[in-house]
Amino acid sequence: MSKRQLAMVMDLNKCIGCQTCTVACKTQWTNRNGREYMYWNNVETYPGTGYPKNWMELGGGFDAGGDLQAGIVPNIEADYGVPWDYNHDELQFGEQLKPNVEPTWGPNWDEDQGTGDFPNDNYFFYIPRICNHCTNPGCLSACPRDAIFKREEDGVVLVDLDRCQGYRYCIAGCPYKKIYFNPKISKSEKCILCFPRIEKGLPPACAQQCVGRIRFVGFLDDEESQVYKLVHKYKVALPLRADYGTQPNVYYVPPTEAPPKFDAEGRIIEGSNRIPIEELEKLFGKEVHQAIKTLKAEMKKRKETGESELMDLLIAYKHEDMFRLDQNYYQQVAKEKKLSLAPIDNRYMAGKHTADKYTFKVVEYE
Amino acid sequence: MNKKLLATAASTLMVTAVMAQDVIVAKKAAYDVGKLTASSRAWNHVKGTAVILYPQTTIRMNDKKAHMANKVVHAKKATVKALYDGKKIAFLLEWPDGTKSVQKGYQSDVYGDGFAVQFPVHYDHPKTLPYIGMGSEGRPVIIHLKKAVQAVFEPNGDGDVGMQQNVLSKPYFGDAIGKYQDEVAKRAVKNYRRAFISEGFRSMTEIKDGSETFSADMKYTGKGWRGAVTRPLRDIYLNLDNGAFPVAFAAWDGARLNRDGLKLLSSWVPVRLEGKTGGEALIKELTADPKGDIANGKALVEQNGCTGCHYIPGMSMPSFMAPGLANIGGYSTAAYLKESLVDPSAVVVPGYNRNAHPNTPWYSVADGKRQSAMPPYPLDEKSLNDMVAYLKTLKAEVK
Repeated sequence: MSKRQLAMVMDLNKCIGCQTCTVACKTQWTNRNGREYMYWNNVETYPGTGYPKNWMELGGGFDAGGDLQAGIVPNIEADYGVPWDYNHDELQFGEQLKPNVEPTWGPNWDEDQGTGDFPNDNYFFYIPRICNHCTNPGCLSACPRDAIFKREEDGVVLVDLDRCQGYRYCIAGCPYKKIYFNPKISKSEKCILCFPRIEKGLPPACAQQCVGRIRFVGFLDDEESQVYKLVHKYKVALPLRADYGTQPNVYYVPPTEAPPKFDAEGRIIEGSNRIPIEELEKLFGKEVHQAIKTLKAEMKKRKETGESELMDLLIAYKHEDMFRLDQNYYQQVAKEKKLSLAPIDNRYMAGKHTADKYTFKVVEYE
Repeated sequence: MNKKLLATAASTLMVTAVMAQDVIVAKKAAYDVGKLTASSRAWNHVKGTAVILYPQTTIRMNDKKAHMANKVVHAKKATVKALYDGKKIAFLLEWPDGTKSVQKGYQSDVYGDGFAVQFPVHYDHPKTLPYIGMGSEGRPVIIHLKKAVQAVFEPNGDGDVGMQQNVLSKPYFGDAIGKYQDEVAKRAVKNYRRAFISEGFRSMTEIKDGSETFSADMKYTGKGWRGAVTRPLRDIYLNLDNGAFPVAFAAWDGARLNRDGLKLLSSWVPVRLEGKTGGEALIKELTADPKGDIANGKALVEQNGCTGCHYIPGMSMPSFMAPGLANIGGYSTAAYLKESLVDPSAVVVPGYNRNAHPNTPWYSVADGKRQSAMPPYPLDEKSLNDMVAYLKTLKAEVK
């Protein structure tokens, strides 16, 4: 476990699935050098196949006994989707518009499909997903090369590309399938929580760009941070599939505000909710009941009295309040480590043990 | 016909019986062996030595598809040839593999065939050689690895960040774009051929500073691979110029999703430099037939409760409690097995990540030293020899 832990909260009631976060991440990190197929940040429709295809059924994570579970390494073409492009620049010479790769599958292939009978009880909602920067990462436990590490200073989970040998056990070990194989460099890569931005006091690109302002970022031990309030004070933000045993650090405010169902005559069924509670329980655990109760109560309180700290938080008035990062903290760490500049981890930049091969002591994880 | 039958019968017997390892004799060459490749004709004039490669089953990896592909794995008989001149030594490993697998293209789940040659940094005490699986604490090894992997783009290749940038971030147009990309490729695209130093598999570290000069290549023959490695007899890591030294080999089968611990490996095999003296004790240790009463050894293994934690086929079930012993007789030396019985903490399977199975810890850490969860078994010499003789029989059949 790291000394401190950064966390992100995403309010699913407000996610409109616009993929601005996805694009922010892609243009920042994954549009080149073998990462083209990767979406460190993706927004998937639930219920749906997700990204990669059926990731919840691909194993990994830990069982109740704490044993790492075997998993499956997805296939790019069948499970992730090969990115394709069109021959726009050839159209002026009379060519037909055609893709360079036959599109057979891709992320969001089933976007907005959802489930149920339209218009009576169909439903879907969006789940934006990034690496959960878990407290007990499955990828880290699966790595036989000590190539994955969790930063002491903020709990960000990173791949030491100098040590990674591209074995892909990390992909099998991650139950969220949020670590990817880069075929060009034959190494694994993943969301870095935009640590170069974080260290400058800026939120990750996905959070900064979010037009629905659904993402909160901060340290979980910082009681002034909105993530602390949402996760610990009000307990309305819950981890996704905590049953995988990795103790994820991305939290979700469950989608409570779905429209009611219609009956056969198209009349509103009062008090009904399109999103089955069983589905929410599967995703967010039993705690989802209390979270929904709290959200409803606070909403009511706000309506009646005009006051509710929780509702004010979720309205997300100001970025400066939503993102409580601390540039001074990182500068202090850099100073203690006698580094003139961030990044504070020279391991990510230079790799571990590269300078002195006779100092390769294995880290013991407690 | 009868002769053929007899030969088949004999070879089957050889496999099932506890078979001693022949010494690999490195033939002295009058030319620079550093130039040899897997296709060199020079190998035709060297006698091969059989080396059996056994499936690694001490540690179970966490890939579901690989588990399916490796439900039944047999050992493979490889042939090793060696040549040396005054300065360098060259090895040729020939191993059967019916499927040529190359890791290439825009794929996430294909794996290349490959091979590795491993040397202990210290081998003056033949009874305490490094752990066969990539060395152990205080007993480092040097490993040369070659895999059938397309040339890879190494982002930290030579640390030149300016030459790693996306071309879109560069102020180039027209021909300059292609020029830049060629320049990037020239610096960063590398042959998948690596040297490592290791004291246990999690500590394995690539030697990237050019201090280990070696060559490695592999060629598919239609029935299997020929892989060659050449390296100096002496450098800052190793001194192999002592008459005899141990070597170990490993092979990966990409079609079975082999990589890392999913592989076939040999035990420590002795190499004698033709025309040189020294290393007799080492050769004797590594070629000796394990002597002992196998039946009594098996009884002792049962009586002492080994199967309470360890997996032995037919005697216990696979679990995460302790190293699996299904092929321990194949890739472990008799001395290592004996040491592990008498002093289990001497070598704790190095690199095992307790976090993956926290409720069945193989070891604890006291003062930075790993203490095995297994108690020592300070039995009498005969009992130990019998147990070792039995453990040496635990290995997959060659097919």
